[in-house]
Amino acid sequence: MKNVPASNPAQDPEKDQTAKLSVYVSSSPHVHTPEDVPWIMRQVVYALIPGALVGVYFFGIPAIKVIAVAVASCVAMEALWQKLTGSPITINDGSAALTGLLLAMNLPSGAPWWLVVIGSFVAIIIAKQIFGGIGNNPFNPALVGRVFLLISFPVAMTTWPEPRSFFTQTADATTGATPLGALKTAIFEHGTIGAAPEMNLMDPFLGNVGGSLGEISALALILGGVYLIARRIITWHIPVVYIATVAVLTGILWLINPEGYANPVFHLVAGGLMLGAFFMATDMVTSPITNMGKIIFAVGCGAITVVIRLWGGYPEGVSFAILIMNAFVPLINRATKPTKFGVVR
Amino acid sequence: MKEVIRLTVVLTVVCVLAGLSLSYVSDATEEARAYQDRLELLSSLNMVLPEHDNEPDSDAVIIDDVTYYISKKDGKINGIAFATSSDKGYSGAIRVMMGITPEGEIITIKILEQKETPGLGTKITEDWFIDQYKGKSLNNARWAVKKDGGDFEQISGATISPRAVTVAVRTGLEAYEKNKQEILGGGDVVQ
Amino acid sequence: MSFNKELIKGIWKENPIFILVLGMCPTLAVSTSVINGVGMGIATTFVLICSNIAIALVRSYVPDQVRIPVYVVLIASFVTVVDLTMNGFFRGLYHALGIFIPLIVVNCIILGRAEAFASKNSVFLSIADAIGMGAGFTLALVMLGSIRELLGNGSLFGFPVFGGGYEPVLVMILPPGAFFTLGILTGVFSAVAKYRSKKWRKYVIQDLGKTTVVRERI
Repeated sequence: MKNVPASNPAQDPEKDQTAKLSVYVSSSPHVHTPEDVPWIMRQVVYALIPGALVGVYFFGIPAIKVIAVAVASCVAMEALWQKLTGSPITINDGSAALTGLLLAMNLPSGAPWWLVVIGSFVAIIIAKQIFGGIGNNPFNPALVGRVFLLISFPVAMTTWPEPRSFFTQTADATTGATPLGALKTAIFEHGTIGAAPEMNLMDPFLGNVGGSLGEISALALILGGVYLIARRIITWHIPVVYIATVAVLTGILWLINPEGYANPVFHLVAGGLMLGAFFMATDMVTSPITNMGKIIFAVGCGAITVVIRLWGGYPEGVSFAILIMNAFVPLINRATKPTKFGVVR
Repeated sequence: MKEVIRLTVVLTVVCVLAGLSLSYVSDATEEARAYQDRLELLSSLNMVLPEHDNEPDSDAVIIDDVTYYISKKDGKINGIAFATSSDKGYSGAIRVMMGITPEGEIITIKILEQKETPGLGTKITEDWFIDQYKGKSLNNARWAVKKDGGDFEQISGATISPRAVTVAVRTGLEAYEKNKQEILGGGDVVQ
Repeated sequence: MSFNKELIKGIWKENPIFILVLGMCPTLAVSTSVINGVGMGIATTFVLICSNIAIALVRSYVPDQVRIPVYVVLIASFVTVVDLTMNGFFRGLYHALGIFIPLIVVNCIILGRAEAFASKNSVFLSIADAIGMGAGFTLALVMLGSIRELLGNGSLFGFPVFGGGYEPVLVMILPPGAFFTLGILTGVFSAVAKYRSKKWRKYVIQDLGKTTVVRERI
């Protein structure tokens, strides 16, 4: 105790409940990489830029506003919570900003500011900080925020402004349906898939459809995803297996009954599958550790997505599927734990 | 063996006592429960029927398992109330009590039972929605929601519930038209 | 003195919902509004008082092997009495609480108190325990019900609180809202309990040759 300086708060533990363990144990390997939390977060943000730009191009100024409000409020919520609880303020690691960006990309571009702020509150406080902050959240915070909003404000969350070129934007945007929403309505009304899947599939591929502001362009999201895989932020397992599962399941049903089920290409490019598969399901904290675990996780996500899209009450099931599989991650991790070298099981 | 007998006796005594006291309570509250049942029926009938001086639940006709409650003023029929339903609701059946004039014009309707999504589908119980059915009959309205080319407002975010209500009411009106003679039974009708 | 102690403990120190975590099913299901919470709380408290009295009375005559069936028969009888009475006299509340009235039978608080308290204590103390637990349960339901009704419906006791511009947060009156609210309130309860705790735990941390002692409330 003598060596502790008088100013050290740890000396008076009753005043300072946050005295931290700080154990410096150093052993090999001592090789350093630039990989730390801020670096990883920066890479993911870079990878999201194409998708966000497409959103801004097709939805205009409101999309910029949603992104700005989401990022700012997420960072502010995190700072506020950490200030109030007296824990170290970690907003500079970029994780809150990334959550904000992901949340914004999962919202319709016409979302009012208060909706975005409530979403940020749920994402940062309820889904992340209450569980202990970065690295401890069992569920993807941005998705928790989105699903909370979707269930609470179904009207605002399913009012989709029509896409149009950035240069022809007018103040009074008209609204329309998403491809998956149109599909669901057609099936409910006529029992058949109607005309929705016969639309020009280049539109959802490039982004010229209604939808959340960051999910509309499959191409831009794939570009970002490939960048993440090339940078080794994520491995190919989750996105590839997730997308393949959706393609195979919808493909089988389409082959059996093309009147009642849309073709698999439509299911791949419409809705939030690409955004979910590359950016939401691959979240390091809420996905399994081993490659085998990732494959199991991705098959589960794909199967649940298809079940909700085809037979559920909601037209889109990506968010629900990923959240449901998030809950299984601890179990999957336990089941796929590799054996230690030399241990006979 | 002695132990088994003891256990049996204790359990039997407890069950018999419980059974006896429950049958007593059931008897004692039977009248009140029947009264509440009738009160519930009458209050929903009064909500959809015009002013009357008879007891609509005793002046009732049953046709095709539907009970038509008939209200009279000064001996003349001035309204008919009956329940109709549609299983096309978003989650489960929607049951509607409707009150109509003998000519088949809606006085008003009341949603008796629905399990729609709170805050969305449940808007079918709100006054502005109910009010648009008032004064409508099979002849003076297109019986579909606006989205399907009809006259009735849908609810943004929930088209299915208003559609189900509209279908239920239309089915009810059609059933009434079909059985009109039998329901009115040749009684005097208010002009 | 002892009577008061048993009475108070159910409200705070051994609150059935936030500390003992019993009776979750009705707590989550019927706390959609304040009125429902009050109704369910009173109905449960009534059954709890009756069953605690009855069980404390018969406890010395009931052989151990059949005590659970006997308790269940007694509890089920009282619940049926409540069910019939509500059906006859409080029709509105009867509809609002629906299936959860008969389900009071399987509410863990009631069988739990029968087994943990009434079967071992006098009638006098069992009454105190039942009133305290019932009050704690009602308090918890009212807290959950007010938060959920206020946020999810914009009203309290059925009266609108916010102006017309308020968009209700629907999820709060749906099942997930029950879990959110219950989780946060349970957290608040344990945080307060920890803050008021007089027990301390001592950590000795050896760090690069320095020794630091940290004390923490538990």
